[in-house]
Amino acid sequence: MKINPLTIKKIRRFRSIKRGYYSLALFIFLIIISLFAEVLVNKRALVVYYSGDIYLPTYGAMIPGKTFGQNYDYETNYRELSREFKKQKSSNWVLMPVIPYDSYENDLRDDEYPPFPPSIENKHYLGTDNVGRDIAARLLYGFRIAIFFSLILLVVTYSIGVSIGSAMGFWGGKFDLFFQRIIEIWSNIPFLYVIIIVSSIIVPNFIILIFIMAFFGWMGITWIMRTITYKEKTREYVLAAETLGASNFRIIFKHIIPNTISIIVTFAPFAISGGIVALTSLDYLGFGLPPPIPSWGELLQQGWANMDAWWIAGSVTIAMVVTLMTVTFIGEGVREAFDPKMHTIYE
Amino acid sequence: MHKDWPDSEVILKVENLVVSFEFESGRLPAVGDISFELRKGKILGIVGESGCGKSVTALSIMRLLPQPSGVIDNGRVLFDGKDIVGMPVEEMQNIRGKKISMIFQEPMAALNPVHKIGRQISEVYRLHFPEINKKEVKERSINLLDRVGIPDPDIRYNEYPHQISGGMRQRVMIAMALACKPDILIADEPTTALDVTIQAQILELIKDLQEENGMSVIFITHDLGVIAEICDDVVVMYAGRIAETATASDLFKRPSHPYTKGLLSSIPRIGTKRKTRLSIIKGMVPGLDEMHEGCRFQNRCPAVQPLCKVQPPQIAEVSENHFAACHFSETTSTLFDINTKNDVKIYGSGLNDGNESLVVSNLKMHFPIYGGIFRRQTGKVYAVDDVSLKINAGETVGLVGESGCGKTTFGRCVLKLYNPTSGQVSFNGNNILKMRQKDLRPLRRNMQMIFQDPFESLNSRHTIGDILEEPFIIHKIGTPAERKKEVKKLLARVGLQENAVNRYPHEFSGGQRQRIGIARAIALKPGLIICDEPVSALDVSIQSQILNLLMELQEEMNLTYLFIAHDLAVVKHVSDRIAVMYLGKIVEYADAETIISSPLHPYTQALISSIPIPDPMRSSKKQVLYGDVPSPSNPPEGCSFNTRCPLAYAECKIHEPALKFITTSDKAEHMASCHLVK
Repeated sequence: MKINPLTIKKIRRFRSIKRGYYSLALFIFLIIISLFAEVLVNKRALVVYYSGDIYLPTYGAMIPGKTFGQNYDYETNYRELSREFKKQKSSNWVLMPVIPYDSYENDLRDDEYPPFPPSIENKHYLGTDNVGRDIAARLLYGFRIAIFFSLILLVVTYSIGVSIGSAMGFWGGKFDLFFQRIIEIWSNIPFLYVIIIVSSIIVPNFIILIFIMAFFGWMGITWIMRTITYKEKTREYVLAAETLGASNFRIIFKHIIPNTISIIVTFAPFAISGGIVALTSLDYLGFGLPPPIPSWGELLQQGWANMDAWWIAGSVTIAMVVTLMTVTFIGEGVREAFDPKMHTIYE
Repeated sequence: MHKDWPDSEVILKVENLVVSFEFESGRLPAVGDISFELRKGKILGIVGESGCGKSVTALSIMRLLPQPSGVIDNGRVLFDGKDIVGMPVEEMQNIRGKKISMIFQEPMAALNPVHKIGRQISEVYRLHFPEINKKEVKERSINLLDRVGIPDPDIRYNEYPHQISGGMRQRVMIAMALACKPDILIADEPTTALDVTIQAQILELIKDLQEENGMSVIFITHDLGVIAEICDDVVVMYAGRIAETATASDLFKRPSHPYTKGLLSSIPRIGTKRKTRLSIIKGMVPGLDEMHEGCRFQNRCPAVQPLCKVQPPQIAEVSENHFAACHFSETTSTLFDINTKNDVKIYGSGLNDGNESLVVSNLKMHFPIYGGIFRRQTGKVYAVDDVSLKINAGETVGLVGESGCGKTTFGRCVLKLYNPTSGQVSFNGNNILKMRQKDLRPLRRNMQMIFQDPFESLNSRHTIGDILEEPFIIHKIGTPAERKKEVKKLLARVGLQENAVNRYPHEFSGGQRQRIGIARAIALKPGLIICDEPVSALDVSIQSQILNLLMELQEEMNLTYLFIAHDLAVVKHVSDRIAVMYLGKIVEYADAETIISSPLHPYTQALISSIPIPDPMRSSKKQVLYGDVPSPSNPPEGCSFNTRCPLAYAECKIHEPALKFITTSDKAEHMASCHLVK
């Protein structure tokens, strides 16, 4: 399998567009970080050394307090344990993650009310929200959910859109006309109301939300695919395949779709940023993923409600701006690399 | 460089011009160190294949190189004693359009589609003569349209470019270029996009106007025939350098550069013996990034010497006012005379056992036109209108006609790529049009097609290996290993390297891609191949390579060809019999020799007469057809040719002549549809 030299050229061109290239690097870095979020942000310890044994509690079943000589059966409170070990000055030790809090955990204190401002001493680097949950933890876990939400959404909508769109473009005629009207009617269904109605009946979870969003999000790419297929289908290489006796199935999948890939790829990054924004706004309105699932929309909402706790709104806004800009820069880079428009003038 | 021309002064002088282009991969020279002179009141032809730097030279003279990628690195362009290269932009704008004008290859692209023709012409006056009032501008514009031979100029004045035909558009372009009575007209392939009968009109027009105004013309073309037709002096360019300059008569009489000789001998002419092996220039023009040290023609030259590989030849005088850039221009004169020798290979046809391979009867293809609010059918395009044709196994039938005459549609109907309105197509006894797609598919391996555009007809996402393997996969032939072996055989057969398997179409030149297209067509050893303009998108020197290959394959594999093309000389060279098509109908049908030597239909006669012959000494009066091909959606009453026919009389406007057998002396099968032919 050899990569088409044209593709190599496109990749090289993308790499030469520094803004897009570095954005992609940052984006991949963020995704990898979020994949290993448990190692960085967790109330469970990374490593516990206790009477000669080494424990790695991060992944796997919970370890009851008794294991470490505590007087309870529920999951060990590692922060407590760490303090205790230090107090005892024993050879036992606990290595906690950078942010030793879970995204669901309320870190409450006796004489104060959350939200707590950022404090290095408490290891709440971005402060807590109004129920005492660590904002950095919620941002990271929220990012993970949002990004995988939009990636899965992308795959689902593109599969639907590409199949229907290329079928419309290829067969045209009545089939095309029928789906055109369907799409027009479909796009006029008020999306928000449907979500409100649905979420009043069932509590939406991740899968249901993807299903609903895909239900209303397949039209854009279908429209695009239809147009490209119309264009591609009249080209001579399709005629050549037909002359050889190729079946319609083969013509669509072996000939037409590979020729539309570059256009589909160009649209993908913008679809991803669209997905993130959509999920965030649903969460903001309270129709998205149910609490207490960490979400940027919910954080934004809190920030709005607690304007004096500037660290809530501040950190989530910065996080959103950085993420969306990164994705948009990638999209711009891809578009420029795939379809360079040389700026030509005549005197 | 030239000695002083005897009777005429030099109006434009190009000295040591070097032009480069900035690419992603770096800066590459497109034109390297060329010098030539344009004499006052003369037509200078620049000829060469694509990629030889002809257009770049013209654009440099106009200072219209695309910015910022195109750069004039060196040299001077002296016009009226002033150097254009270093001129301030404002001064240049006064020269452009007023002193030097230009017309382009694609008149539709060069005219602004949203402005009326009148407005575009009067713009020239408004720019260069702002003092003239509106009424006079209009008057002058209409006069101008009249002068370039546009009928009803006052009506056309208010029409948009899309409402007139290609030939008319080129006339409008010429009118615009001539509005200010320029000293120099640069014509960049002005007739390449036009049909041969329209080309003859435009050439005549340019020549008439040139004589009338006494202006100088730089005429760029790839067609030596056109050069011979109208040029006084010729510059032959090859790979960004000048290969040869001479007066036209001298060039055709005594070509000195091997490239010129090769070009002259490789084109099939109407007089060339049929089915002879054409002499070729091997290989192709090197790309900008693969220019050779030394002589740039070295890899294609049949007389290459060690010296050519190291030292670029200087341009040197061969005889008076005749210069060539070849180290051995004296000694190579015997080369390329193959066509005159007697031992030329003549290709046979395929084995003709008298069986009919393809019988088409009364085929009609009418495309509906929809209009109105409810998209009801408002008319029809009579693309193919009642055509019958028979091809015997192993022979080649040529189908020739101008663009829009329905020849491509006919070819596609025969393969049932379109669904014809009515008629029958029988291939090896199978009635194709009645068959269902599913039943037709297995039959498709016996009837293949070679397409016009080798860039479009290969899927750019597939490797050559994928492309050639596809026919085997579709028809479920062989194991993957066997297929791979077949693909290698095919590549070798059409003259390509084995390593092409893993490469992609864009890595090949046009000629090589056409070879791949041919390999795909012959992969399953078909009986019938429909060649749809297989060489018209290729350069002159590549055309003969492909034609040779096609004839070779026919002899070897016993193929039957339907050869569709607009170039009568090419069609005549490869065909046994020829059908001439006009406006969806066959107007004349006979064997190839007869149709050329004694054409009966006035359209065929005009077609033959319009072909530019690369021999300036032949000053036969051309029979130029006036007017344009009528629209196939609204064909004229009576004989479809009556609107352009020089011999038309009352009968022709009422009754349509039938295609009937003509009794000739040698009892050959000869059919024509004309009231005058009995």
